[in-house]
Amino acid sequence: MMMNAATPRMRTFARWLIAREAAAGYPPEEKAQAAFRACEKLRQHLSTFAGVAGFRSLLSRALILAKAEVPWLSAVEVKADGSLAELGSLDTQHDMDEAEKGVVILLAQLLGLLVTFIGEALTLRLVQDVWPDAPSDVMDSGKEKKQ
Amino acid sequence: MSDQDKVSIRKLPTGVPGLDEIMGGGLPEFSFNIIAGGPGCGKTTLAHQIVFANATPERPALYFTVLGEPAIKMLRYQQQYQFFDEAKLLNSIRFVNLSQVVLEKDLNAVLDEIVKEVEAANPAIVVVDSFRTVIRKTLASTGEWELQSFIQRLALHLASWQATTFLIGEYVPEEMANNPVFTVADGLFWLYQTVERNSVVRKLEVIKLRGQGTVPGLHTFRITDAGLQAFSRTLGLSGKRKVPAERCLSTGIPELDKMLSGGIPEGDSILVAGPSGTGKSILATQFMAEGIRRGERGIIAGFEERSQKYLVRAGNFGVDFGAAQKEGRLSMLSLRPLDLSVEETMQELVDAVNKIGAKRLVLDSLSGFEMALSPGFRQDFRESLYRLISALTGIGVTILSTVEVEDSFTAMPFSAYAVSFLSDDLIRLRYVSIKGELRKVLVIIKMRGGEHSKEIREYEITFAGLKIGKRLEEYQGLTTGVPVPYPESPEIRELPQEQANKKQG
Repeated sequence: MMMNAATPRMRTFARWLIAREAAAGYPPEEKAQAAFRACEKLRQHLSTFAGVAGFRSLLSRALILAKAEVPWLSAVEVKADGSLAELGSLDTQHDMDEAEKGVVILLAQLLGLLVTFIGEALTLRLVQDVWPDAPSDVMDSGKEKKQ
Repeated sequence: MSDQDKVSIRKLPTGVPGLDEIMGGGLPEFSFNIIAGGPGCGKTTLAHQIVFANATPERPALYFTVLGEPAIKMLRYQQQYQFFDEAKLLNSIRFVNLSQVVLEKDLNAVLDEIVKEVEAANPAIVVVDSFRTVIRKTLASTGEWELQSFIQRLALHLASWQATTFLIGEYVPEEMANNPVFTVADGLFWLYQTVERNSVVRKLEVIKLRGQGTVPGLHTFRITDAGLQAFSRTLGLSGKRKVPAERCLSTGIPELDKMLSGGIPEGDSILVAGPSGTGKSILATQFMAEGIRRGERGIIAGFEERSQKYLVRAGNFGVDFGAAQKEGRLSMLSLRPLDLSVEETMQELVDAVNKIGAKRLVLDSLSGFEMALSPGFRQDFRESLYRLISALTGIGVTILSTVEVEDSFTAMPFSAYAVSFLSDDLIRLRYVSIKGELRKVLVIIKMRGGEHSKEIREYEITFAGLKIGKRLEEYQGLTTGVPVPYPESPEIRELPQEQANKKQG
């Protein structure tokens, strides 16, 4: 059976990215907006590296995997350029906890897919290209395996 | 123009062991190069090795990917190699995907994108992987002139920005004649991969490299966890000339030393040829044991017997090969896989010789060496062996090789190999049938350096090694293996005439 890429550590990391974006100007109740902004930043950086099509397919896969856990994410779509449609309006449609859960899992799936393909060290480096202060200890290799 | 007036071209390391030497010292800085070859032959891995060897935060590498292997998968696989340094990815190597531009726009837009990134990053190294896809797309939509113009502008811009460039492509050799990219390129490196019987043979060729004296021809290379490793046809020892021997090395068999007029001249290649069971490996072990006893370092490359056998045998001669190994005075290489290339085996030998400063080398046996090679390399064996022996004797190593020959009972073949090329000296061991016994004789066929005994001497294999006995002077036709006594020999003199005639055939 395929392992869920959105591991607890990936979820923690996703929460950190969302919090980091929220701190950059979004009110705490607008988690989806912050997640949207985080995805956008990742898209811009990863599209240069992996190509628009490459990033789009990764995000589409992450969305499909996240939908299995959070069905209301079906309302979200990945556009041709790899950006997310409808994610920003979710804050008004769902309560704060639900919205947060959805966006955290979506981001965690995306990060988890990157880890699956290129490993934790390179994923962290790519993320740190965008958020240089992203904590390395979240990705501390092997931590999860020992638990 | 004097040497002082000439511009000095800096040479960049390739990061590939052995390849700098093949390229004449490294990659010329600011050159515009093509890495060509079929799928799976190691083009991308070679480019990554070059990138990781040269990229720095001040002068990073720009790696453009185009419609080929997706960048994420490329990183997934490339990080498995030992040369992959993840620390460099953050600040020294930048991957840029050009697929969208190539698919949706024209060549000018592709060039603009490359120029924009190059001007922003100030890279030392630029790679376009795969450039072939750019060309395919271009030729499908525009003409050859536009392509030529694009390549010209690309080469000009990248050189002006002081970048050393590599365009990677899946080309076939037939394309070389008509493709403008090959004309513009300063360097053209072709990688080949063929399957011969059950083995994969990888070879590379530096078809051109402007301004540099490269080692011509095809060189084998291998891809391991460490990445590519190339094996120069000259083994990095070109230009070494053999100096005349100043002394002779003892074989460890006093009688044999006498027959050789003092021993084997230092720096000679001596071949010991004989059929199975005649003691070739024992003689080789005695030669090495004597070297160890005298404080000379040595290497035994065994292609048939395990190291343990040499160890036990040397113990019988009173020499502890195990201790010599631990102290770095002896190296025993057991080379038995069936997919070795000649060059990599030879490189392993050369490295071992250089590592311990060996003065004696045993190759036991050439027949086993040939069998250990991938079938595709066997046809090059004799030529490669000649290069190895010339190279090593050129730096003063004395080589004793053994070779198995099948005894014929009508003649005495020396070896299946071209003896004069391979050896300065030749000892032949053989069986002879005398009085209902299969006995052994030894003869020195040639010594390039001078005088040697012409005697055919009987010998025995004892616990302490080869024990050389007397000359079998009562017999004629010893070289045929079925000698007959001379008429004046006591054996014949004492017989009635009829029986004596019969005995002499």
